Amino acid sequence: MTVSPDTQRARAWTWAITAAGLVVWAALPWFLSRGTIDILVFAGLYTIAGLGVSFLLGQCGIVSLAQSGFYGIGAYAAAYGTTALGLPIPVGIIAGMVVSGAIAAAVGIPVLRLSGHFLALATLALAIIAHVLFLELEWLTGGTLGIGGIPRIALFGFTFSTPFRFYYLVWPCAFALILFYTLLLNSRTGIALRAMRDAPAAAAVAGIPITSLKVRIFVLSAAVGSLAGSLFAHYVSFISVDSFAIDRAISFLLIAVLGGVRSIPGTIAGALFVTAAPNYLSRLGDIHPILFAVALIVAVIFLPGGFGGFVSSTWRRLTAGPRPSATGGP
Amino acid sequence: MTLTLLVQSVLAGLTNGFVYGLIGLGIAVVFRGARIINAMQGDLALIGSVVAYLIAVSLGLPMILGFLLGVVAGGVTGFLVDRLMIRPTAKRRGTEDSFLLVTLGGAFAVSATVLLYFGRDSYVLPGIGGNAMVDVFDAAMRVHAIWLIVISTGVVLALRWFYAKTAIGQAMLAASIDPEGALTLGINVGWMRTMTLALGGLVGGLAGVLVAPLINIQYEMGLLLTLKGFAAAILGGLTSPFGAIFGGVILGLVEALAVVTISSGYKDVVAMTLLIAIMIAMPQGLFGRRGRLGG
Repeated sequence: MTVSPDTQRARAWTWAITAAGLVVWAALPWFLSRGTIDILVFAGLYTIAGLGVSFLLGQCGIVSLAQSGFYGIGAYAAAYGTTALGLPIPVGIIAGMVVSGAIAAAVGIPVLRLSGHFLALATLALAIIAHVLFLELEWLTGGTLGIGGIPRIALFGFTFSTPFRFYYLVWPCAFALILFYTLLLNSRTGIALRAMRDAPAAAAVAGIPITSLKVRIFVLSAAVGSLAGSLFAHYVSFISVDSFAIDRAISFLLIAVLGGVRSIPGTIAGALFVTAAPNYLSRLGDIHPILFAVALIVAVIFLPGGFGGFVSSTWRRLTAGPRPSATGGP
Repeated sequence: MTLTLLVQSVLAGLTNGFVYGLIGLGIAVVFRGARIINAMQGDLALIGSVVAYLIAVSLGLPMILGFLLGVVAGGVTGFLVDRLMIRPTAKRRGTEDSFLLVTLGGAFAVSATVLLYFGRDSYVLPGIGGNAMVDVFDAAMRVHAIWLIVISTGVVLALRWFYAKTAIGQAMLAASIDPEGALTLGINVGWMRTMTLALGGLVGGLAGVLVAPLINIQYEMGLLLTLKGFAAAILGGLTSPFGAIFGGVILGLVEALAVVTISSGYKDVVAMTLLIAIMIAMPQGLFGRRGRLGG
């Protein structure tokens, strides 16, 4: 395989920008207030949950509004496992991911046969069911009173107790998942997924098991959402049913769409927007929810590919430079 | 279970069902004419009810004026939604999802505006016939609820006539079923979509003034109404006005029966499970008329 000088240059630039970004990322908390770092921690949590939604929508065409349910399962598994059963923290987190994955598989097999608006509504119905169950199963979730006293995560005697410390736990998780999803996208499975999305009939003829592939990606997305929920529970140490309502499901979908569903790192931009924008706009007074809504409308209208799509098209223009005109173009 | 309790819950379910049906009606009108799921439908109802409240209660003007202006406010909002949101999105070749999201943004904007000017309190609009009740097999039903049912039925019949018999209704259907064909016949497709959104707005405003006496007007009410309305519309096949009302009634009755037989906490679980089951088993809605896009 030959690599053209342009691609080589683009790759070098990608590495340089990634490295610079990591340096900025590592240095950032030292210059920010506690409140701002707290927002960044939530941006990290939402990036993780949003990645699952984004990949599902971008690569399988599945609109999932059920993520708040899996986020809740992860949070309650962590909370119940550690406070009521006295399990070690990793066991609670893994239990949440396993339960979420199992539920996603059981529900996904019938539901993922739907498409378009029907599928969107079905996942929304699942989120509503999950929310009601979180409210009603008081022995497990504490109902409206919630569960408190969830222990902080500790690693080798280091407790992730403050926003500053947790920042260095949640973001590496998010980066690892971004890497994982990027590798998945470029693997055989990723190629099968793209074939399935762009030409379902041809993919089926080529022997790609469409339903099982969709269910597997849905299960993965649920497990990732559950992980985000568990981390959230260990970060805030008190959870109640309010954190797992429908508006959370909508935020996760917004993160995916604003970030750009075809762009995996774009999810970070979506999560930053959804967590930071309301906070900064709130300085303008009570009008801030309206401004957030208007910002959302403007972003959907003017950036159909999301922030990620906008960046990658600009990037392509910059790195490709004058090439199309020089060769005359297609 | 006593007969009275059963009748009472059926009546409650019927009333709620028509509320869901009216919201679903607006969703069906917009989907039929524009192939867009309008996530603002519940918030159009919020606008209708707030305007009616401002005129009839805050300003003390006649009730009928409040009702009419509430409906008109819904229609005007529908028109603005098309001009400010749908049209720019369509121009940039937005996908199915971007229309859903842009109207969702609109729903947030309406809800936030009501929060800013009305606060978190809830308000009740006086109903038609005040708080008068009628007895049905020893169970009580509000006179207003009967008016709600009569008016909704009237609107469905009117919409049927409008789509089947008037030139403009036919043009709206044509523009949605085959936009290019409609264009060659000289139908202004863009204008038809504007009219569809405005019509959906009128239905939304009407739903608002009719449901406000039964449920509290509150800045957050839109989204849940939209969801239940969406469920009603899908049960009815998504494009049929009659189906939306029928779907709403089914949903309302199932919820009411779940309340008396299981527990009130689980009514949404039952309704949503039923919804998923129907979508999987009967994807064309309860009437199963495959492929009839015009209804």
